[in-house]
Amino acid sequence: MLQYIVPATGLLFTLENILWINIGVFVGSVFAAIPGLSVILCVILFLPVTYTMTAIPGMMFLLGIYCAGGYGGSVSAILINTPGTPHAAATMLDGHPLSRKGRTKAALKIALYASTFGGVFSALMLLFLGPQVAKIAAQLGTAEYFMVCVFGLTIIAGVSGKSIIRGLVSACLGLLISCIGTDPMTSYDRFTFGIPRLYLGLDLAVCLIGLFALVEILAKAEKKLGELRLDTAKMHDDGKISRQEYKRMVRPVIMSSIIGVLVGIIPGTGASEASWFSYNTAKNLSKHPEEFGNGSVEGIAAAESANNAVTGATLIPLLTLGIPGDGTVAIMLSALMINGLNPGLSLFTTDGDIMYAIMLGLILVNLFMFIQGRFLTTLFAKVVSIPQEILTPIIVIFCFAGAYSVNENYFDVAVALVFGILAWILRKLDLPPVPILLGLVLGRMTETNFRRALLISNGDPSIFLKSIYCKIFLALIIIAVGAIVRGKWKEQKAAKAAAAAQKESN
Amino acid sequence: MKEMVRAFHARMDRWGESLHQKEMRIPVDLTVGVLFFLFALAILFVMPQQVAISEKDTVNGRAFPTLLMVVMMICCAMLVGKEIYKIITKQPLNWKVINLQTEIKALVILAILVVTYLLSRFTDLFVVGAIFCCLGFLVYFRCKKPSYYVITITIAVAIWAAFRFVLNVDF
Repeated sequence: MLQYIVPATGLLFTLENILWINIGVFVGSVFAAIPGLSVILCVILFLPVTYTMTAIPGMMFLLGIYCAGGYGGSVSAILINTPGTPHAAATMLDGHPLSRKGRTKAALKIALYASTFGGVFSALMLLFLGPQVAKIAAQLGTAEYFMVCVFGLTIIAGVSGKSIIRGLVSACLGLLISCIGTDPMTSYDRFTFGIPRLYLGLDLAVCLIGLFALVEILAKAEKKLGELRLDTAKMHDDGKISRQEYKRMVRPVIMSSIIGVLVGIIPGTGASEASWFSYNTAKNLSKHPEEFGNGSVEGIAAAESANNAVTGATLIPLLTLGIPGDGTVAIMLSALMINGLNPGLSLFTTDGDIMYAIMLGLILVNLFMFIQGRFLTTLFAKVVSIPQEILTPIIVIFCFAGAYSVNENYFDVAVALVFGILAWILRKLDLPPVPILLGLVLGRMTETNFRRALLISNGDPSIFLKSIYCKIFLALIIIAVGAIVRGKWKEQKAAKAAAAAQKESN
Repeated sequence: MKEMVRAFHARMDRWGESLHQKEMRIPVDLTVGVLFFLFALAILFVMPQQVAISEKDTVNGRAFPTLLMVVMMICCAMLVGKEIYKIITKQPLNWKVINLQTEIKALVILAILVVTYLLSRFTDLFVVGAIFCCLGFLVYFRCKKPSYYVITITIAVAIWAAFRFVLNVDF
C-alpha cells in the first residue's frame, strides 16, 4: 500500500485536481440544496464534462458532487423543512426544529461537522478495506464474476421499487439496451435496425440524461408551481455550539459513521437507510431521547454523519467487484471504465497509483466540503429559493448540451429525448429506473463473463454452480431475494393493517 | 394584449379543471405483465434478423439477449399469474390512476423539448433552441416577471458560450 501512497500523492496534489474537486463540491452542494434536484441528476448532467478529462480529475469532480450532495441536502432540510435529497429526511426531523429555535447556523454547522467526520471516516475505511476485498475479488473467475453481476442486479432490482419482479423486468430492459451496438466478442452488430449510428451502441451518459433528467422535466406536469422563498433573516444567529453539545455529539457521530460504512458496503442499501437506522440507534442510546424531534444536536449529528459515511463505503464493492452500491456510484463506474480502469485487484496493483490518488482524493473532497461549507453555506441557502421558472429551462439546456457534447451530434439529443419518453412511460407503469441504469452499466461486463464462462465449459451451464464462490454468491442471491420478499410482504401487511384500522375508525 | 392573455389563461384554466376531473385507471401489474411479455416475444422474433451469428460459435451473440428475454417473460408471467390469482380470489388489483390533465401538461412540456431539439438541429445553432426553450418554459409557467426572462435567457446564452468556447463543443 505504502509504495502507491507517495506517487498517488504526487498525482493528486495538482492545481487541476484541486480546482475540479472544488467545482464538484460547489456544484454538488448547490444541486443538493435545491429540493427536487437529486445528486444522481447532478452527476448525470455533468458526466459528459468528465469525458474530456483523465481519470483522476474526472473522478475527483464526480466524487466532489457525490460527497457534497450528502451535506447540501441538509441545507434545505434545516432551513425550509424540505429535504434537498431523500437521505436528508432524517436530518430534517431535528434540523428544522433547531432552526425554528433561532439556531439555524448552529444546525448547519453541526450537519457540516458530522458530514465531514462521516465522509473522512468512510474514505479511510475505503483506503484500508478496499485493497483487502480486492485480493478476494482476484480469486474470482468469469463464472464467479457473472454471479457477482447477477447478485448486484438482483439486489438493486429488489430494493429499487415496490416489487422485485418489476425491478427484474427493468434490469432485463437495461441489460437488453446495453446489447445494442457491436457484439463485444465477435464485433457483429446487434439490434441496430439499420441505423448506422447505433453500430457504436448507445452512450451511457445520453441514456441517463433521458432516463433521469428529462423525465424530471416532464414530471413538472405533475406538480403545481410553488415558489420556495427563504427567509434569510433566519441565518442571523451566531452559530455557537457549546462544549456540552460537542461532547454529546461525539458518540452518535462515531457510531453513525460505523453504521454508515457497514450499510454502505451492502449493495442496494444507501444513505437513506443508513441515516434512518443511525438516527433511531442514536435516539435509543441517548440520555435525552425526549429531545429527538425537537431540535436535538445528537439527532442531526447522527443522521448527517451516517449519510456521508456511506459515500466511501459504497465504493468498496464498486472498485473491487464492480458492484455499484447505488445509482450514483454506478455512473462513476462508467466514468472509470471510460478511462480503461476496470474494477478488481488490477485497479489496486497495475493502476495502484491512480486508484490510491482517487481514494486519498476522497479525503480531500471531504476537507474541501468542510471549507466551502464553513464559508459558503449562506450562498447555498440562497440557492434554495431559485424559482422553478428559471431552473427548469436551465436544466433542459444543460441536458441537451451535455447529450450533444458526447459525440457532437444531434442524434444523441434525439436518443436522450426518446429515453425521456421511455422513462415517463415506465414511471406511469411503476417500473423503477435504477435497475435499468445498473443494467446499462453492468451489461457488457455481465454478458462478456457469461459467454466466456460458457465457452470455457463448452456450453455447459453447470459452470455457474461449480466453484465455491459461485455457490456462495448463489446462496447470497437466494438469501437477499428471500429477505427482500419478506420485507415487502411485511410492508404490504402493515399497509393493509393500517388501512383496515383507518376504515374501522371511520 | 393583456386582456387577450388573461382570457387565454382563463380558458386554459377552465379546460384544465374539466380535464382534472377525468381519470383513467389501469391495472398496472397486469398491464406491465402483458406489455413486456409481448415486448420480449417481439425481441425474440426479430433476433434472427437483428443479431448476426457465425455457425461455428459455441456461444453466440444471441445467447445473452435470449436469456434476458426468457427471464423477462418469466417475470411477466409471474406478474400476470399473481393478478389472475387476485381476480379469482376477489382481492383488489394493483391500480394506477392516470390523470388526463397531468398527461396533457406532460405532452406540452414534451412539445417544448421536441421543438427545442428541432430548432437546434435545423438551424444548426444550439443557442436558438436554447432561447426558445427558455421562452417556452417561462410561458408554460405563466411567468409575468420580465426580470425572469432576462435572467433565464442570459444564463442560457452563458451555458451555450461555456460549452462552445470553454469546452470547445462545436454547436
